[in-house]
Amino acid sequence: MGDEPESPERRTWLLGALSGAVGTTLAAIVYPIVSFLWPRESTESGAMNVVAPFKANQLPDSGGHWPPPFDFGGKPCLVIKTPGGEIRAFNAVCTHTDCTVQFQPDKGQFLCACHNGIYDLNGFNVSGPPPRPLETYKVDFRPTGTPGEEEIIVSRT
Amino acid sequence: MSPAPENGPAETAGWKQRLWAYLSDRVGLDAMLALGVKKRVPIHRTTVFYFLGGMALFLFIVQIVSGVLLSLYYKPSPDQAFESVQAIMSEVKFGWLIRSVHSWGANLVIGVLFLHLLTTYMMRAYRRPREFTWVTGLLLLALFMALGFSGYLLPWNQLSYAATNVGTKLVGVVPVVGEYLLKIARGGENVTGDTLSRFYALHVAIFPLLALALMGAHLYLVQKQGMSVPPRVAESHGGEDKVPSMSFVPDFLLRDAVGWYLALGILAALAALFPWELGEKADPFASTEIGTKPEWYFLFMFQLLKQLPGTIMDLEWLEGEMVGVLFFGAVGSIVLLVPFLDRGDRSRRALNFFAGVSVIFFIVMTAWGWFDELPLQIILGTSLLLAVLALADRFLQRGTPSRRALGVAAALTVLVLIAAIIRELTR
Amino acid sequence: MRTLPGILLAITLFAVPPALVAAEGEPPPEEEESKCITCHTDTELWEGEQLHLLVTEKQMAELAEDVHWKKGLRCHDCHGGDPTSFRTGDAHAEEAGFRMMEAPGDVPDFCGHCHADIAIMKRYNPSPRTDQVVEYWTSGHGQAMKKNPEDADVAQCVSCHGHHGIRAVDDLKSPVFPTHLAETCAKCHSDESRMKGREYNGKELSHDQYELWRKSVHARMLLEKGDLSAPTCNDCHGNHGAVPPDVDSVANACGTCHVKVGELFAGTKMRHRFEEVKLPGCATCHNHHDIQHPTDEMLGMEADGVCGRCHQEGDPKYGATLTGAEAARKMRRGLDDLDAMIEEAKRNLKKAEELGMGVQKPRFELKKASDALTNARSLVHGFALKPMEEVLDEGLQVATVQNETALERIGEYHFRRVWLALSLVPILLVVGLLLLYIRRRPIPGR
Repeated sequence: MGDEPESPERRTWLLGALSGAVGTTLAAIVYPIVSFLWPRESTESGAMNVVAPFKANQLPDSGGHWPPPFDFGGKPCLVIKTPGGEIRAFNAVCTHTDCTVQFQPDKGQFLCACHNGIYDLNGFNVSGPPPRPLETYKVDFRPTGTPGEEEIIVSRT
Repeated sequence: MSPAPENGPAETAGWKQRLWAYLSDRVGLDAMLALGVKKRVPIHRTTVFYFLGGMALFLFIVQIVSGVLLSLYYKPSPDQAFESVQAIMSEVKFGWLIRSVHSWGANLVIGVLFLHLLTTYMMRAYRRPREFTWVTGLLLLALFMALGFSGYLLPWNQLSYAATNVGTKLVGVVPVVGEYLLKIARGGENVTGDTLSRFYALHVAIFPLLALALMGAHLYLVQKQGMSVPPRVAESHGGEDKVPSMSFVPDFLLRDAVGWYLALGILAALAALFPWELGEKADPFASTEIGTKPEWYFLFMFQLLKQLPGTIMDLEWLEGEMVGVLFFGAVGSIVLLVPFLDRGDRSRRALNFFAGVSVIFFIVMTAWGWFDELPLQIILGTSLLLAVLALADRFLQRGTPSRRALGVAAALTVLVLIAAIIRELTR
Repeated sequence: MRTLPGILLAITLFAVPPALVAAEGEPPPEEEESKCITCHTDTELWEGEQLHLLVTEKQMAELAEDVHWKKGLRCHDCHGGDPTSFRTGDAHAEEAGFRMMEAPGDVPDFCGHCHADIAIMKRYNPSPRTDQVVEYWTSGHGQAMKKNPEDADVAQCVSCHGHHGIRAVDDLKSPVFPTHLAETCAKCHSDESRMKGREYNGKELSHDQYELWRKSVHARMLLEKGDLSAPTCNDCHGNHGAVPPDVDSVANACGTCHVKVGELFAGTKMRHRFEEVKLPGCATCHNHHDIQHPTDEMLGMEADGVCGRCHQEGDPKYGATLTGAEAARKMRRGLDDLDAMIEEAKRNLKKAEELGMGVQKPRFELKKASDALTNARSLVHGFALKPMEEVLDEGLQVATVQNETALERIGEYHFRRVWLALSLVPILLVVGLLLLYIRRRPIPGR
């Protein structure tokens, strides 16, 4: 190491540049890895269950603003509360021509506005062209500590 | 020695030395460094090929890191495998990069290992006492190909599903035990979710553990026996000890680092130019698309098996696929036993002939299987041949007849390549 | 009467049906109470004009499946008379309640003896229908029967339901179960010779209805997809009161299932005009019997467009206007534009998906555009441009946004490649500097 023909400054400069470049590449490797490790934001695709974007007590008892269907595996999922207070979940895709049905709490039914297909609160097709009942999902609750504020977990049966 | 880091700022000037001393005292850094400095790497025309092993090691580490990262989000079930890979590529930050790096790294590590094998053969580094270094190395190559094959299924897309179907089917043609092997490999009669779990276990646990063990043995042997000096180089310098050399630390390590960075660069370039796509989700009931191909390193086998007739010479028990599988088994065994077959000039000439034919067979079959059109096949084939000739060139003495033959072969290859390119461009 | 052989024969013949009946869990009819079978199954007793009074072995087997028989009803419960008597006169005495059928026209009232009697029917069904006979006399069949009660070609109860083997209407094998009903009607209505010269409301009856219906979307749904709610003959014509719907009630018939389009159509000027010029509602555009799945091509002035049939330039029919033609063109363009945009967005989303980009959310959002398209297609039947355009615009907006999202995802994919290529710069810089460093650091002793 001693028989260096270079001047010390040049060697220091070279070493400095080298460590700088190596540092840059290391940063370019470490940064993506750390970002990768960070939890992702969106929900999992293809999951067998999903947590509804609202809590059990956020569903109005009657009338009021009803939460719109949310994404469950690419299909709209409707969570409703029956007059008896039971919470049920349905695949909101109409069995007739695949439109999204809407919940009509005042009438206690689901309406598909495309062809006026009507389903009852059990998801049975009661009027209009739908040939089959709506697909039903299983509903479970996960306590959050506060009564009423349970998370609603919808899963495929 | 009491180099506590919380000592005053007056003593910080020497903190590096003190940290070094602290660690040397406890984990023996000095001894390791001494070992590295003492280890000599011979300097000659083919020294550059010593880097290939280090490159493969570096890429293996890249594979471990990226693989572990991917396993954090991957879900090995037929319902979720495809979706989870899709989520890795779209929802997880830099997931696309990690997956691309892992996929390309797999190909790169096998490519580097092929070159490592070829140049080791050319250097005849498998001679006594290094027979087991060769054997462990070859087993490692087989293991990495198995890692590639098992990993290919994991995204559960159409291509991987079809490739696994075809690939595992070959296991079934092995005489007597084939049927049982097939069931064990697939975890049933067909490629199903169980196959996926099996391949996942193999890919993330069994194969990597085996690879680590074999690699430990391989590196231990390299360390114990030192770097092999090609016999011809030793001869020209009048003995192995007279060959000039450099110390492993820092001279060779610095050069190795160049190799690693080049590997990293190639990886980045490949991932940028040809990002790994996801394709369509596997559908067991969809018909296999025409033109389904395995990964390039299996292409030479695939292409030969495709050409073999259903039965050979109309003998019902002589199935074409079975013959092909047994043929590759035999070739593999010969390569594995090279150190024991090399027993003098005559056998060496036979081995060289065998090696030459094998390499040309590999190149022809790969080029043939890769492209459908003849000019493109010729361009790929001649390019690969030129690369191999360039490798061989380093091992041949100037002025020898074989060197001259190589020159003529290279010139001819270049001519064919140019002709094929012109043909392709004017079409 | 050959009493002794008669009894012996009755015993031997009787051995068959009770076994069948017993299998159904019903007690065998008591011999002394039901003497009808003794004579009516004796093959030697009946010949010539009376042959129809013989109850064959096959009919006995069918009887075992008969809903009435299964409920415990026996010959005399329908036919009346005295089942305990072997004397022909006593057994068939009018005083014993024997009911004679002299002509086909007698059948409805014969069945109606029970089926129009709420008290009797209540025994079997807490809320029975008892209006079938009344309905029947209002039907085309009933009106023809009234004119000529001897006409054996006119349908009455047994023509569709069978006799001595009448199955419940919800029995899968019943000739009037939805999947068999059309065939049953077709037995007569596809028979050219039977239909010849028959007319309803002054209009001659055709004989191709079954063939046409068989090709319709309704028949496909019912027979191929097994959707029992899909309509067969009786769902539009009525069953016991079967008649062709009047011109102005066609829309109501279709509207029982196609609620929304029915309501939309009911509120249009188009409907009034149709009624004025005696064009049937839905059937004018969609045909009847061979109703096909509607296509967007039906809307418009081109070859397949039904609007152009009346809204013709130069020669408008039924007072159809050219403004209407223009509206039809606009509606069609709107549908086509939205459809094309949805397809494009789907294509781009698929492309992005294959590149490995997440498309779940935009795909979910795109469903709203598909909903709008379906909704707009049903809004066509309101024949008003504005409400349809509102829905179409909304859908088009959603589809455009999601298509842009898809393109953005594809763009992001390419951006990644550039980014990765840029990372080569520091890597190559390190390689260069390393080589420089190595060059300036000669290996000692070389």
